[in-house]
Amino acid sequence: MRVSYEWLTELAGVEEMTPEHAAELLTMVGFTVDAVDRIDLSQILIGRVISQQPHPKSRNPLWVHEVDLGENLGRRQIIAGAPNAVPGSLVPVALPGVTVPNGKQVRDAVIAGLAGQGMLCSREELLLGEDAEPAIMLLDEGEPGRPLSSVIPPDAIFEVEVTPNRPDCLGHLGLARELAAASGKALRHDFMPRFQGDAEPLATDLLKVRIDDPDLCRRYIAAVVTDVTIAPSPRWLQRRLRAAGVRPINNVVDITQYVMLEYGQPLHAFDAARVGGDEIVVRRAREGEELACLDGVTRRLTPPMLVIADHDRPLALAGVIGGQESAVSDSTRNLVLEAATFDGVNIRATSRALRVRTEASSRFEKTLSPELALAGARRAAGLLEEIAHGSVHRGWPDLYPRPQEPVRVRMRPEKVDALLGVHVPLEEAETILRHLDFGVRVDPADGSWDVLPPVFRLDVGIPEDVVEEIGRIFGYDRVPATLPGRRREATGVYRPPADAQVDPARRAFTAAGFYEAVTPALVSGRRQERLGLADRALRLYNPVSEEADTLRTSLLPSLLQVLELNRNRGRGEAAVFETARTFLARQGDGDNPLPEEPWQLTAVGPGGASASEGRDAFQRLKSVVERALHDLGAPPAEYRRARPALFHPGRSAEVLSGGRKTGHFGELHPGLVREFDLPGRLVACELDLDVLLSARVQRSATELPRFPAVDRDLNVVVDAAAEAEMLLGTVREVGGPLLERLTAFDEYRGAQVPEGMKSVTLALTFRSPERTLTDSEVDGVMAEIRSALEQRHAARFRS
Amino acid sequence: MIEAQTLAEAAITEIKDAPDLGALERIRLDYLGRGSGRISALLESIGNLPKEQRPGAGKAANEAKRAVESALEVRAAELERGRLADLAEVEAVDVTFPAPPLPVGRIHVLTQVQRELEEILAGIGFAVEVGPEVETDWYNFEALNLPKGHASRDVQDTFFMSSDEDVVLRTHTSPVQIRAMERLQHPPIYVIVPGRVYRRDASDPSHTPTFMQLEGLAVDEGLTVGDLKGTLTYMCKSLFGEERRIRMRPHNFSYTEPSFEFDCSCGICGGAGCRSCGGDGWLEIGGCGMVHPAVLRNGGIDPERYSGYAWGFGIERMAALKYNVPDIRYFYENDLRFLETF
Repeated sequence: MRVSYEWLTELAGVEEMTPEHAAELLTMVGFTVDAVDRIDLSQILIGRVISQQPHPKSRNPLWVHEVDLGENLGRRQIIAGAPNAVPGSLVPVALPGVTVPNGKQVRDAVIAGLAGQGMLCSREELLLGEDAEPAIMLLDEGEPGRPLSSVIPPDAIFEVEVTPNRPDCLGHLGLARELAAASGKALRHDFMPRFQGDAEPLATDLLKVRIDDPDLCRRYIAAVVTDVTIAPSPRWLQRRLRAAGVRPINNVVDITQYVMLEYGQPLHAFDAARVGGDEIVVRRAREGEELACLDGVTRRLTPPMLVIADHDRPLALAGVIGGQESAVSDSTRNLVLEAATFDGVNIRATSRALRVRTEASSRFEKTLSPELALAGARRAAGLLEEIAHGSVHRGWPDLYPRPQEPVRVRMRPEKVDALLGVHVPLEEAETILRHLDFGVRVDPADGSWDVLPPVFRLDVGIPEDVVEEIGRIFGYDRVPATLPGRRREATGVYRPPADAQVDPARRAFTAAGFYEAVTPALVSGRRQERLGLADRALRLYNPVSEEADTLRTSLLPSLLQVLELNRNRGRGEAAVFETARTFLARQGDGDNPLPEEPWQLTAVGPGGASASEGRDAFQRLKSVVERALHDLGAPPAEYRRARPALFHPGRSAEVLSGGRKTGHFGELHPGLVREFDLPGRLVACELDLDVLLSARVQRSATELPRFPAVDRDLNVVVDAAAEAEMLLGTVREVGGPLLERLTAFDEYRGAQVPEGMKSVTLALTFRSPERTLTDSEVDGVMAEIRSALEQRHAARFRS
Repeated sequence: MIEAQTLAEAAITEIKDAPDLGALERIRLDYLGRGSGRISALLESIGNLPKEQRPGAGKAANEAKRAVESALEVRAAELERGRLADLAEVEAVDVTFPAPPLPVGRIHVLTQVQRELEEILAGIGFAVEVGPEVETDWYNFEALNLPKGHASRDVQDTFFMSSDEDVVLRTHTSPVQIRAMERLQHPPIYVIVPGRVYRRDASDPSHTPTFMQLEGLAVDEGLTVGDLKGTLTYMCKSLFGEERRIRMRPHNFSYTEPSFEFDCSCGICGGAGCRSCGGDGWLEIGGCGMVHPAVLRNGGIDPERYSGYAWGFGIERMAALKYNVPDIRYFYENDLRFLETF
């Protein structure tokens, strides 16, 4: 909310306080002041325009003024772009070197060949409001050469953040109460004005009011004011409206605006002549009804929007915007002044459906106290009599179908210290509450409190709310910072955070050159479908864009996009991985409304250009997967040829750990890679972290061997399709307990071996735990192994 | 036995002139090699001599062998000393030559900052809890005292999974407050919840539709605003530096009472106000407050006996402040030039 410092401090009775101090106090009691714009007018001078000529050379509309700045400064030539500074006008002048309140610096300038010696200021430049079109601000009074601050008191504009629970502070009076309390004072104004009007006849005899929908309108007050004189508002009122960001229109409209900015209660004035049948009906709009609104737009209304109608048609959209026809105009003589309380949820729905948000609707949305309506009506009626010289009739129609229940919070005063963690003297706590217009009754029997919040505070209902009031005025900077802790039962155990348990795998991948990526979980459903990943995918009901309308079922496309981005930025060889949840619609119709969220580790890296480079990359990734599994503490990986979706049908495998499926890896399908702007081959793995973290093995040390090992290599030529695991299985079986370690390396196809065959070198290590093995003993086992390989796999041997 | 002595003298002369260990080895083989060596041959031939000559010849041949062996040993030691003395020149490498790169990879800066925060808060007894990212209306809103029609539940802010709006993408990590109270049941409860949350925000330098939040919840007997302040102070000082200060501004959230926003003093100006903090000396971090009694009740905790405090903030925001990241979107773009900075 835009707040005038001058208005605020006058209401709070702290006129001597600096704007910065006031802003700091408001911020620390819960009304964050986002900006303070000081309006310093002491450097701006008052000038009288002597002459005005169109600029002779400029093609833009410019005028050359001769301006009198009094005896000491004499006359200056000033060029300006608005036509309204006619000879005789009093205008604000900023001379070169001066910075005007909106931050603009004035310099000597030559404009289209003529020297300008200063600037004539607009309201906007002086932060004194807006004008309808580019115009120089014209002054009503002032002596040339004197500073502008001699006729306009200094002000500052605050941008204040008012939380939705405090609509009572969407007016200067509410904020003034807070500011006064924060500086240890009570507000000098009573909340409820006494004015009620005394003109005859009774207002209830002039106007009938009916509420058809008491659910949506909790209170409706209509004051009748006759014989008003429509005129511009007095200067002080215009100045305050402008400071708060409202453009003055006429005294009647200005008063309704002024009281809204003061009390936070929106008001509306109808031209009584336009209220057909002298009757106001608060009802739901009828299907197809239309209303020409004050902003010039004709809107089609539908139930359950609420309207203020006369005996046959709508006059205004309740709590949102008035109608054009019933609006106050220069010819208006009699008024109906409305002060009502509408249902916040309904106003918000209407405002959203029609896309019109006004100062009124944004206040009603937050649910206002119906007591505020009476205060606002009295205040506005009093001003209408005083300023617009109207006769306010006594006995206002005041329909209040659901009166506000008084609230009483019973609590122990000890609760204050117990919740805040600091000692607040009882007397100070009570004073704070009284400054905020709360009543406090101390029960003489047991010292407990009955706290009575003021009627405009609908947000206070429990002891914690009362403690908050005391705490924020007492000052949270006075609360010492402590850490909790007390003697407690020794239960529970330490478990590293689930995400931290994945760190060993993260380190295995980063050590191998993979970067961890974090990518958005919302992806394009259409793309996911094109990639064949739409099975069990979950679409959002209200996405923001097609690019992000579905929860991902796989991390792969996101990572491919990361590779694409990096390739376009000159990093073609990027390797990345991510750990995140994926989302799958739950199968079966159990009671659980929530989807499955498998936790995945997915990695993608370059796979070279050729088939053989691809095979090398496949092997390297396999090493990384094995290290990751080992470091996570999972059982060693086993592999099964498989054809997972998105993977190369001949170059991918399922990974098992401890016999459980934990994911798959291999080269990506060329068809998938082609979907992205990526050349060459890619290798990838997808691991299921939920499985891996649940399958950890207990490691156990063994006694170190005391006898030497014997190493043998065996070069085997077998059918090219034979899988290493078959050969190794045979060797393990025949080698028996003496075979300590076994692996294969140097897989070779080509000129050195016959067509359709490949050579593989097996590396064997033999050891006995009880004795040193002799050569002949090992030779014997090797011979058995050879013959088994010959028989079972038609193997031949090269030296 | 002239021959043995002559052979030994010849060998010793050669040994003294041997230029390196290789030459020395060749000399050793020439004289002492098994079978073929000249002194070895002499020793073997002794068996063929007449019986009375054998002791004399044997003694002479063995003496020759020992003399050669000891000369070999001396020369070998000499040569080794020389080789070590010359190491600096002979085996010199250019120590300034650029090293070949190891594979480079980095753990994402958001993970790093999350881990750091987890460790900091583990230090004062907070354990990590997790919960689902797709949530029910009850956990995400209703149980947190956010009734239907509340402004924060505005359709503008929340992603719904269905038209009945009963299942949502969680808009904050706070639903895990309720889940944690239900799971743990008996205070003391000290947990933190890092995780992804979703808002229907447009992307800009300080917003992304997906972001990481970290939530803290303490439920115990006698917890106070002071304890909340102490926790926040400890957390921010640990992460940003001991000179930092904390400011709590009263605010409004439906699930806490009293509620606050909390700020950390600017690291550049120390709170005096500068360009980087927008002039007021404070950097906005997140929201916090004392857990609302209705929320405790919804988690199955008796608010008459226990009180609680909770706080939450964006991990991106923390990481951006710690590392001067100019645009939150960097975290999700994954440009390696950005990732390798950390």
